[in-house]
Amino acid sequence: MPQSIPPRPSPPHPRADGLAKACGTERYAADLYPPGLVWAGAFRPGVAHARVRAVHTDRAQAVPGVIRVLTAKDVPGTNLQGIVHKDQPVLCEDKVRHAGDPVALVLAESREALVRVLGLITADLEPLPGVFTPEEALKPGAPLIHDGRPQGNILLRAVIAKGRAAQALRRCPVRLTGVFHLPMQDHGFLETQNGVALLTPDGVLEMDVSTQAPFRDRFEIGHALGLSPWNIRIRAPYLGGAFGGKDGATVQCLLGLAAMNVPGRPVKMVWDREECFLAGYKRHPATLRYTLGAEADGRLTALRCRLVYDTGAYAHLGGEVMELGLEHAAGPYRIEHVRLEGLAVYTNNPVAGAMRGFGVAQASFGFEGMMDALARRLDMDPLELRLKNALRPGDVNPAGVRLTSSVGLVECLETVRTHPLWTGRRQWEAQAPPLTRRGVGLAAVFNAMGYGRGLPDMAVAKLELLEDGRFRVYSSVADMGQGNASAYAQLVAQDLNQDAGAVELLQPDTERCHPSGSSSAGRTTYSFGNALLKACTAMRVKLLSRAAMVLMRDELTSLELAPGRVVHPASGRSLALADLGRLLSRDDRVCVAEFLMPVAQDPPKTGTAFPIGFPHLFFSYAAHLARVEVDELTGRIRVADYLAATDGGRVLDPQRFHQQIEGGVAQGLGYALMEEVALDQGRILSDTLSTYLLPTSLDLPDTLSLAVDGCEDTGPRGLKGVGEVGMNGPLPCLAAALASITGQRPDRAPLTPERVLRALNRKPRLRKQA
Amino acid sequence: MNVRLPVTLAELFAALEEPGARVLAGGTDLLVQLRSRAGAHGSQTLVGLERIRELQGITATDGVIRIGAAETHASILENRLARSRLPLLTAALAELGGPAIRNMGTIGGNACTASPAGDSLPPLYALEAEVELASRQGLRRMAISGFIQGPGRTSLERGEILSALLVPQAKGFDLHHFEKVGRRSALAIAVVSLAALIRRDPSGRVLEARLALGSVGPTVLRCPEAENLLTGRRLTLASLKPAAAALRRAVTPIDDVRATAAYRRQVAGNLLLRLAVLA
Amino acid sequence: MTIRFVLNGREMCLDVAPDRRAVVLLREDLAVLGPKEGCGSGECGACSVLVDGEHRLSCLMLAAQLDGREVLTSEGLGDTETPHPLHQAFAAHGAVQCGFCSPGMVVAAAGLLGKKARPSREEVRRVLSGNLCRCTGYVKIVDAVLAAARVLRGRP
Repeated sequence: MPQSIPPRPSPPHPRADGLAKACGTERYAADLYPPGLVWAGAFRPGVAHARVRAVHTDRAQAVPGVIRVLTAKDVPGTNLQGIVHKDQPVLCEDKVRHAGDPVALVLAESREALVRVLGLITADLEPLPGVFTPEEALKPGAPLIHDGRPQGNILLRAVIAKGRAAQALRRCPVRLTGVFHLPMQDHGFLETQNGVALLTPDGVLEMDVSTQAPFRDRFEIGHALGLSPWNIRIRAPYLGGAFGGKDGATVQCLLGLAAMNVPGRPVKMVWDREECFLAGYKRHPATLRYTLGAEADGRLTALRCRLVYDTGAYAHLGGEVMELGLEHAAGPYRIEHVRLEGLAVYTNNPVAGAMRGFGVAQASFGFEGMMDALARRLDMDPLELRLKNALRPGDVNPAGVRLTSSVGLVECLETVRTHPLWTGRRQWEAQAPPLTRRGVGLAAVFNAMGYGRGLPDMAVAKLELLEDGRFRVYSSVADMGQGNASAYAQLVAQDLNQDAGAVELLQPDTERCHPSGSSSAGRTTYSFGNALLKACTAMRVKLLSRAAMVLMRDELTSLELAPGRVVHPASGRSLALADLGRLLSRDDRVCVAEFLMPVAQDPPKTGTAFPIGFPHLFFSYAAHLARVEVDELTGRIRVADYLAATDGGRVLDPQRFHQQIEGGVAQGLGYALMEEVALDQGRILSDTLSTYLLPTSLDLPDTLSLAVDGCEDTGPRGLKGVGEVGMNGPLPCLAAALASITGQRPDRAPLTPERVLRALNRKPRLRKQA
Repeated sequence: MNVRLPVTLAELFAALEEPGARVLAGGTDLLVQLRSRAGAHGSQTLVGLERIRELQGITATDGVIRIGAAETHASILENRLARSRLPLLTAALAELGGPAIRNMGTIGGNACTASPAGDSLPPLYALEAEVELASRQGLRRMAISGFIQGPGRTSLERGEILSALLVPQAKGFDLHHFEKVGRRSALAIAVVSLAALIRRDPSGRVLEARLALGSVGPTVLRCPEAENLLTGRRLTLASLKPAAAALRRAVTPIDDVRATAAYRRQVAGNLLLRLAVLA
Repeated sequence: MTIRFVLNGREMCLDVAPDRRAVVLLREDLAVLGPKEGCGSGECGACSVLVDGEHRLSCLMLAAQLDGREVLTSEGLGDTETPHPLHQAFAAHGAVQCGFCSPGMVVAAAGLLGKKARPSREEVRRVLSGNLCRCTGYVKIVDAVLAAARVLRGRP
């Protein structure tokens, strides 16, 4: 084995995709308009719960430009999609279960004809009583969303129990309770769900689609439409955002069905913004009930909670989202006794599924709200309280897992503690302008990385030496904007000592790349990056070995890789990689390697009823600080400053690291300040970007992101995933700042001006105790 | 759907006689409405105002600023005359929509849309602006408050357009204040807004107050009771509070996806209290 | 109807339905794909274009309104071989993540820099306030625009 060549000092590696995207020349799925295009669209009656008596398509079929109008009886397979549980029809036959459910699929020659046809379809529906909150859904005798389920409207109930929570709580000198309500959030990606599909003459269904999980899509489509997954080819170009909302079938099965009905012609489906709201997945609304017990000195002893997640009409990843929330429900703290109960409940609301901070963004509002309440009760500094209880390396976490992975929460908290934004907070607060009140809040958060036990978190990387001496990475994990593809190019360039321009990227293509799971769970760079580094090692051995033959060397240790060449420093001789590229056969120019994420050994018996994904071993940690101004007349909040100190292991590329943190914080601030899908009996009231509000450039502060020193030994170059943790801090952080102003702990998000004004007008309830 | 872009008023009036003709100003409201009813407007003709010179220009005569109806919000904001003479109006326009919307939307369009949340309207009510309406029959003028009849309803007759806003400069008024409360800081639809004009004597006593509120009723609302309560008083929290209470009594807000009626009512009064801390 | 306009420096003359939305005309008829459609209602800014140097939304314009105008998209400012300083700054400063908003952001920024060589951070934030970005939190976009302004000022 040759000695590993130390990587060159890391120059700034600008993202490989930045320039083309800025110029407008990168091609997303939405930019594909192949000639001879057929337009497809779904007809969604917009009723939350109803029996479908008939779908009338006669008038629609007569419109010029219409090609086909399909209904459930035209679906050849099981007509059921879903990632874990297959319960969501591609086209509904007997029943619609939420307002976005489709009952017909239209194929038309033009976009205009499609709109006309969709306007002429009608559905004969018999309305059914619906359930629109988990509370209603759990009542005895509540209408059932899905028939024949022994658990009724409960999708999943799970418990994590460690120690004796009930007993310990009775003994605690300090006991606090709290209830927290979280809204439904929309991903708000700018590229709505879309794709283009073609059934080729040899029977292969090809699809270019905005998806986070191209490899899994084949199975979901195949199952629903009765196709062999091996006859389905998915390509995932760069995505215009996803954040979890394109994990699982959106347009895929509808597009596949459409393409099967016009063989040889490409079919395009693009959801408009209203359909994106109506039919797209959402972040689960949730209600959390907490009881926290502590010693008089602030040490946490016991915690009990019940988390209820509204998963909407279909399972999607609802059970898994709730489970991850549950696994984080006690916070990044040492607590000996916990009993955490979680429920994911079906309702007739829009379907909830994966979204950045997968169940954890909700739970963070709960556990940090309790920590703030405890700090006030004990009149303790909230930062000291967190430091006192923070998980440290080697600890057993609340789920019972011994943390053999890296844990940098204390470093994050220390970074905040010494920062001027924290040390100068009292002075800043005292200088509030008239009619303005100022407060500073902080939050400690964490987020697991990877799928957890029970599901192989595997990546398979393929690396090719091209004939011109450059390298191609066959990326298997979609890049939805987080920059993982660029990270792969950087890893290869650094590891093989090549210039950045010598590495090209191929975006996921199920025919040319190897299955490597979904772009999710903060795992993309960790898992695929590790596999890729193994492929690099094999590639180096290969290149040195083949070069040794040409350079007449009898041992590899005398050879080194240099940009574009293999060199023999002692003699000064070298061989261009371009020559090697031509010398080797295609088979010999390719290296493939795999990586399986380690899992917790001897998993604790704390969790029950978890089908998959429990427990997790790796977590990223963060401490956030917000300085907030509240206007006394209107209740409007202005976030003046925001600081995020993050432990994501070692930083591979500072720019991409801070992009993830700043972006996660931005999405978290939206969740905290203004985002809420408003519903009335399952109907979405906020189905446009003027009623569902995303933060603009005038709503967000210049967030300061700091990385703490850390190293996760199992990670590629020591890194951990940081895609999600930034999302979890802003809501509890702003809630804490607000509580310091009003004396009332907010129990409901978002923190709208209306709620803030109400809190300002109320008498303080949470008084400090001496 | 047909589109006509006349360059003179004469061509415009001819085009407006086509069946199904509708006036297209900046398009920032109309094209959104038409998109949501796609396919249902085949026989319409949109008649655009953007190329008619007679509908552009900002001029001053005897303390009245005439703003052509097709002037965009951005062009008014960039106009020195408007900025110096109508600071209340430009303060409101600076918060309307976002930059591109301000480059496209027009002041005439904002008035004709007649939304109670139209950002230009509270200042126009406070300034006691008039609208100039043009048709083949000639011109007529009326107060903006008479022109707007309800949400989306105006006094425009068939074949008639709004050709200009005639906005008196608020001479002698020493406080020009506009505040909009939205759910975010740009691209926001007003939840409540207040335009206030105050004229005071050298001792700081109010000689005249004009208060116009947006988004708290079917149209923008002036509140004479609150205005009278301020007359003769200095602007302190104590003297503003009874007037704020009068504002809360006068409004007739609704609940919607952006805010409740109760919040709107409370804040309608609260916004007046801001005057206590303004210079 | 026949419309003539200049698109990214090229004279265009084409026969179109007068009510075809400009964003569809650009993307589907002319394969100018920098302007993206994120909402269709003027609420996201992804379809931003410069019309006679003014920042406008191509989803709220009809084909007929382009007649006689000069239209510029991000592609018209440069390409990956010969990028505009804004393009370079966006890439260098990490202003691009998913990138779906980026061409519109570049256009909005170009509209500002065409009028104001030395904008403040606050002015840049204001001028971008109609262009939504869901990935970045805007910090690096504002950095990039200010950096590009410096580069442009430094030119002879």
